[in-house]
Amino acid sequence: MLKHEVVVVGAGLAGQRAALAAREAGRDVAIVSKLHPLRSHSGAAQGGINAALGAEDSVDTHIYDTVKGSDYLGDQDAIEFFCREAGPTVVEMEHFGTVFSRSPDGSLARRAFGGAGFPRTIYAADRTGLALLQGLWERLGIEQFTLYNEWDLMRLVVRDGRVQGLVVFDRIHGIFEEIAAKSVVLATGPAGRIYGRTTNAHTCTGDGIAVAYDAGAFVKDMEFVQFHPTALLESSILITEGARGEGGILKNATGERFMTRYAPHVLELASRDVVSRAIVTEVAEGRGFSGPYGGYVHLELMHLGREKIESRLQEICDFSRHFAGIDPVREPIPVYPAQHYMMGGIGTNIRGATNLAGVFAAGEAACVSIHGANRLGGNSLLETLVFGQQAGKAAAEYAAGAPATQLRAADLEAVETPLRAWSSRPDGEDPARLRTEMQQTMERYAGIYRNEADLFEGLKRIRALRARFERIRVVDASKVYNLNLTDAVEVGHMLELAEIIFVGAYARTESRGAHARTDFPKRDDAKWMRHTMAEKGPEGPRLSYTPVAFTRWEPKERVY
Amino acid sequence: MPADAISAKFDVRRWDAVAGGAPRYQRYELELAPHTPILSALLRIRDEVDPSLTLRYSCRSAICGSCAMQINSKSRLACETQVGPEMDRHGRIVVEPMRNQPVLRDLVVDQSPFWTQYDRIEPHLKLDPAHPMPEGRPTSMTPEQVERFKETPRCIACAACYSACPAVEADAAFPGPMALAKLYRFVVDPRDHATQDRLVRIQPNGLWLCLRCHLCTEACPKDVRPSERIRDLKEMAIAVQGGTERGSRHAIGFKENIEDRGLLSEAKLVRQTYGAAGMIGQLPQGLRIWRKKPEVLHKPRRIEGADELDRIYEALDRESEGAP
Repeated sequence: MLKHEVVVVGAGLAGQRAALAAREAGRDVAIVSKLHPLRSHSGAAQGGINAALGAEDSVDTHIYDTVKGSDYLGDQDAIEFFCREAGPTVVEMEHFGTVFSRSPDGSLARRAFGGAGFPRTIYAADRTGLALLQGLWERLGIEQFTLYNEWDLMRLVVRDGRVQGLVVFDRIHGIFEEIAAKSVVLATGPAGRIYGRTTNAHTCTGDGIAVAYDAGAFVKDMEFVQFHPTALLESSILITEGARGEGGILKNATGERFMTRYAPHVLELASRDVVSRAIVTEVAEGRGFSGPYGGYVHLELMHLGREKIESRLQEICDFSRHFAGIDPVREPIPVYPAQHYMMGGIGTNIRGATNLAGVFAAGEAACVSIHGANRLGGNSLLETLVFGQQAGKAAAEYAAGAPATQLRAADLEAVETPLRAWSSRPDGEDPARLRTEMQQTMERYAGIYRNEADLFEGLKRIRALRARFERIRVVDASKVYNLNLTDAVEVGHMLELAEIIFVGAYARTESRGAHARTDFPKRDDAKWMRHTMAEKGPEGPRLSYTPVAFTRWEPKERVY
Repeated sequence: MPADAISAKFDVRRWDAVAGGAPRYQRYELELAPHTPILSALLRIRDEVDPSLTLRYSCRSAICGSCAMQINSKSRLACETQVGPEMDRHGRIVVEPMRNQPVLRDLVVDQSPFWTQYDRIEPHLKLDPAHPMPEGRPTSMTPEQVERFKETPRCIACAACYSACPAVEADAAFPGPMALAKLYRFVVDPRDHATQDRLVRIQPNGLWLCLRCHLCTEACPKDVRPSERIRDLKEMAIAVQGGTERGSRHAIGFKENIEDRGLLSEAKLVRQTYGAAGMIGQLPQGLRIWRKKPEVLHKPRRIEGADELDRIYEALDRESEGAP
């Protein structure tokens, strides 16, 4: 059996930063990742990372913007800590080797982002995630650690009140393994693929959140799902908020710059939930364009000029040209909102600790919560690094004081035996079919605008899909890179999380941030300024609620 | 189904390292819009026709580097190669795993040779203890200094270049285009203090094995242009160390020959590259060439208009003084 002090699952920015912190603390560290670390979805982040480094800007303004952006559901103590760490974190990444874009005076270049009082988004062209991922992987490469590359997380073993280790699946060799661990950091990213229209990579299937939930962790605020306003039509590939930060504008089919009606002060740079709802409303009320891939609006960059577009928005130029046949220098980009980010996740404190002893979480898989009901652009890359480091440090400290852990043969068998049954069934449910039906259900019943009847119907449908999942069938019999098997595992994870989203959204009878209920259009602070905590019960998720932490900022109406 | 749908024919190479046997090509036919990415088509095959077909993929937007494969014999990302143009040009779409890496199954290869070469160039900043990073603030770097990285920060490590490279195929010691482009990224980084050491250490069994065919630059989906960065590294390597390798001596000798007379003296170039003693090893080949082309041993005369060459070389020297 394999054995390590700290095992980090997921090797995007949060996982890598956690691994580095645990190594800096002198622990024996392993990373388990279902794809090579440099292929992680962190690399797809485009626009930038927030830090109040400008002379006119301040940490307090960053805190205020984040609190307001969260629609007062973010924990203010966590947000204060988070924003104070921003400067040192960005500087550290620069020292690790990240190649950022620069101003003529040699300082880090900054651009404007939605919901921010000042241009405080530091960037590397429009591939900031890739630049950070490269810089961090290069720095981590100096350290000694074990990489279990292309291994899937199957189960977290929690016994005697603390974590004992995990059961994993080696994709290349088709075998299950046990890894004993004194502490585990889950940094497995989001579950965007629950939705059909998503900017997320195919690999964003919420494995860590589902596995933690199965092991007894609280999953927090899952009903808050962010839709990015500008995803490329049809493919839903992300067109960075940086495109609007650089001066891009949105127009409907009548040629009107419609954001003047929704956010008269900041227009296109309102918070993401506001801009997404505006686009959906324009299309629903007949002012959008229409085509074979549905309704849409135009994102115009042409007025910025070729040089600015091709230098600062190089990747999205390529995306538009390759994936939509559109040249943004000459014509508008057709866009429509798509699922982009999950504010919710495994509930943690500021140090990344969950309710399970020895289990830590960070990044998009976790919910601290700093984003509350709506995340600001530029805050997620920062979150991965700030809380990845915290979780790694805390996991290292915990491991240093923890006695040896024990796994049993039965722990592995509990995973392997049912999966064998999936492969030996003569007939049953197809993973791809279940995934498609789940995605359609989420789009139709848990989208940008929600109501009681839809949420009730959607929950019923997800539960029916979960019942069908009991008869899942894997037809591919190969031992090598069996995607049919991993697809089935991932669909199981996503269905579990879809149910939590519906249950939480149904219960929350208010509109706050990304959760917009047409039957409860107002924010209800008296009743709902609290976090949803979901725990696995025999009949499905059991909900409880915890208060939001306040320090200095009184809730106000949110206007942009 | 869009009105302009075409009938796309895929011939996908299938093989399983555990099951063994001979590889086979499986035909799949789908009705698709011409702009459909090949990755989307393969995923549809997986979802609707054959769940046993296996491949690596993740972001579907050319940023994760997972889905490089051979598409009609070219190393490409499946996510940004469209069905229509391939069908127009070839009448079918032959999909095979990348080259120069052992196949595990179907389109999935063992990338460890590629990552081993990446590690070999020591891809991390090396600092001079006498020049630590500025405390609490970022290093100052001008946009002009960032320009010197060229497009190397865009590299997504997809290995399309590694798959396309004949030098990798000929000699597994060759680091490959990606690793060398990554090396360039560190060599031009003003924060890195190991430039000279890096340029010296990459030469034996490394830099000079490049064949200058530019297939890597053709294959690169992110316009990193590895062959141009390799050329830059060669120039910098000679500047640091002069002609210490056959490759660098050949490059220097080539230049001297042309400068002298405007023509190559092949015998002289062999001596310059291999040294007088090394020429003995080249004797059998030299004799073969001499039988067919006895004039190789004649000392060529200076060609007419060779003065023009002096001016070209002067201009080039002036230009390279200003270059990295």
